[in-house]
Amino acid sequence: MAQIPNLDNSPLNLAALREQSQKDLLNIVKSIRGKKCLVIDPKLAGTLSLILQTSVLKEYGVELRILSADPLLTECPKIIYLVRSQPNFMKFVASQIKSDESKGLQREYFLYFVPRRTVCCEKILEEEKVHQKLTLGEYPLYLVPLDEDVLSFDLEYCLQECLVEGDTSSIWHIAKAIHKLEFAFGVIPNVRAKGVASTKAAELLNHMQLEDPVSMDDMGIPEIDTLILLDREVDMVTPMCSQLTYEGLVDEMLQIHNGSVEVDASIMGGQQDGKKVKVPLNSSDKLYKEIRDLNFDVVGKVLRQKATSIQQDYAEVKSTNTQSVSELKDFVKRLHSLPEIARHINLAQHLQSFVAKPSFHARVEIEQLILDVQNYETCFEYIEEIIQKQEPIETVLRLLVLFSLTNAGLQKKSFDYLRREILHSYGFEYMPLLHNLEKAGLVKKQEARSNWVGITRALQLIVDVNDMENPSDISYIFAGYAPLSIRLVQHAVRSGWRSIEELLKLLPGPHLDLKRGVSTMNSSLEVLPGSMAQQQSAERADRRSLVLVVFIGGVTSAEIAALRFLSAQEGMGYDFLIATTKVITGNTLLQPIIASSKEGMM
Amino acid sequence: LLLKESRELEKIPVASKGSPLHGPQVRLVEQAHRLFAETKEHIFESKSAEEHAKLLRVQHQLEVSTKQAIFVGSSVSDTIKTCIAMGNERAAVKVKSEFKVPDKRWYWLKSCALATVGNWDALETF
Repeated sequence: MAQIPNLDNSPLNLAALREQSQKDLLNIVKSIRGKKCLVIDPKLAGTLSLILQTSVLKEYGVELRILSADPLLTECPKIIYLVRSQPNFMKFVASQIKSDESKGLQREYFLYFVPRRTVCCEKILEEEKVHQKLTLGEYPLYLVPLDEDVLSFDLEYCLQECLVEGDTSSIWHIAKAIHKLEFAFGVIPNVRAKGVASTKAAELLNHMQLEDPVSMDDMGIPEIDTLILLDREVDMVTPMCSQLTYEGLVDEMLQIHNGSVEVDASIMGGQQDGKKVKVPLNSSDKLYKEIRDLNFDVVGKVLRQKATSIQQDYAEVKSTNTQSVSELKDFVKRLHSLPEIARHINLAQHLQSFVAKPSFHARVEIEQLILDVQNYETCFEYIEEIIQKQEPIETVLRLLVLFSLTNAGLQKKSFDYLRREILHSYGFEYMPLLHNLEKAGLVKKQEARSNWVGITRALQLIVDVNDMENPSDISYIFAGYAPLSIRLVQHAVRSGWRSIEELLKLLPGPHLDLKRGVSTMNSSLEVLPGSMAQQQSAERADRRSLVLVVFIGGVTSAEIAALRFLSAQEGMGYDFLIATTKVITGNTLLQPIIASSKEGMM
Repeated sequence: LLLKESRELEKIPVASKGSPLHGPQVRLVEQAHRLFAETKEHIFESKSAEEHAKLLRVQHQLEVSTKQAIFVGSSVSDTIKTCIAMGNERAAVKVKSEFKVPDKRWYWLKSCALATVGNWDALETF
């Protein structure tokens, strides 16, 4: 199965990380004798497919089931539940056990929490009176490699929990995950954080180092030099913009799950109608690696070039009969890439059908206007129009959030007017949603003058792109807008926070610059100004240093593309490794908030 | 304390709005309207709840007069659309004026609804 990404080219030994997770899981399975049935929660099933193939489990005599509210149908005498620590899953487990009892079935039950047990979940099990029948354990799966340079904490609801519900347990999870990484790869000497959650995670990380120190003696030089933690809240603007890279568009239009996308077979040139096929998308596919981060306008051209060059080769082979065997071998090798080319041509064609619509262009143009903070009226009218046309609520909210963010809120009159229009067009059930968005600071009333213009100037966020094919700056990603989050990372690796301290104060949340290291051995940390970091990077000019960038609350493919672009630049002595709670788009960022706001009313 | 009070205020309508029973729903929404009106920061919320209650009543009447249970629970815009699609223009105009629907939205909804039922003659004479 090609869905498991090849990690050989990773800047860090992520393969080892994955093997460890594999081993842990198999140990759990092996520790229980006889025939057993492994019951996994639906979300986790997708995640596990990034770690190992299901066939491996079958070798150990395991039957696989997906957890649901229905009774479990299996003959196995032993049941292993492997579930995320979420209250609703506990209820499912309890109801399955009870239904077995009512049928008089005697079974042994094991429950493994992923990644750790929580008091809340155990309480539920006690209340349901199934606590005694279960053998409890933990499966410490904190980080899953999505690709050779992307890791996922797999915390889908992190942003919503932090912003709307004020639940910060995911921050602990993140700190723990990084701490676990440090056990494998050494203590990270430089830590920079921006945002409430990030600074908290950095502090927790230090705390964990004190309680359970990673010994620094038996490690060589730490493999990761710098850790940059960023809250999504710091830059909510970027995810609201339509992504224009190939991968970004695939995610926006078709949704990528766990590194693969599901599309109709007919799109991929298959015969059967209505059948879905899974197309894996990761860097193991060399062609995809080449084009995933390009602006979509350029992708078509690249694909055409590839196809024609093969065609030429083919013509050559046919015309000249005097081919040596080695030349033929070369040709055949190139033919092997044909299926990949065909796959991406099909996908790109499908995307083209969305992108070519005038409505798509209109939206991208409006986004640019909003980012420029020009023509308040035009933008306002456009948003008014799409509300009245009852376009998907996500589309409306993305623009509305963007509009509100760059203007530091809407003028009271238009704020109330648009809110009323939304309630009228989509129904009054959306009241709690509007309330939650206001609470999260995403759509609000104007209270102060906007500092967005100042931020864009200082960080040069709006840049004209002249050459789409050979861009010189990350602004190519959004056709003229350089993502704020990535500009911050750029500054952070170059000179630390100090040079942009004034600017950071304009963005939400505190910032933190920590230096941890060999000199202070196990004892506490020292808060040092960022100048130390400059020296450090000068000392290590001879080797490419590795920067771990953690996005708390999710990151978009476009931003990942921007980081890859940066590390590929000449004179940039850094490799980036990205860790995120989830790879998101504007839609998938808003959807959980929308859903939970609705749920609250049921 | 004031903060806590407003928290409680928020919770009540949130918990009540989705209640499936029709009669109590109106009352709950009206209660929410009154509670929101007690504080100054929630003028918008209070007005919305008031409108919501009004909408539910209008929809209930429409359901009684048309004998079809398709109105309750839909939005203002959808109610107008359904009315026009059923050829009941008078009811639609009434909803329009009662909820002060802007002309722009009104014309969009009207043309949309006429187009979906394929009433091209009406669309031309509009």
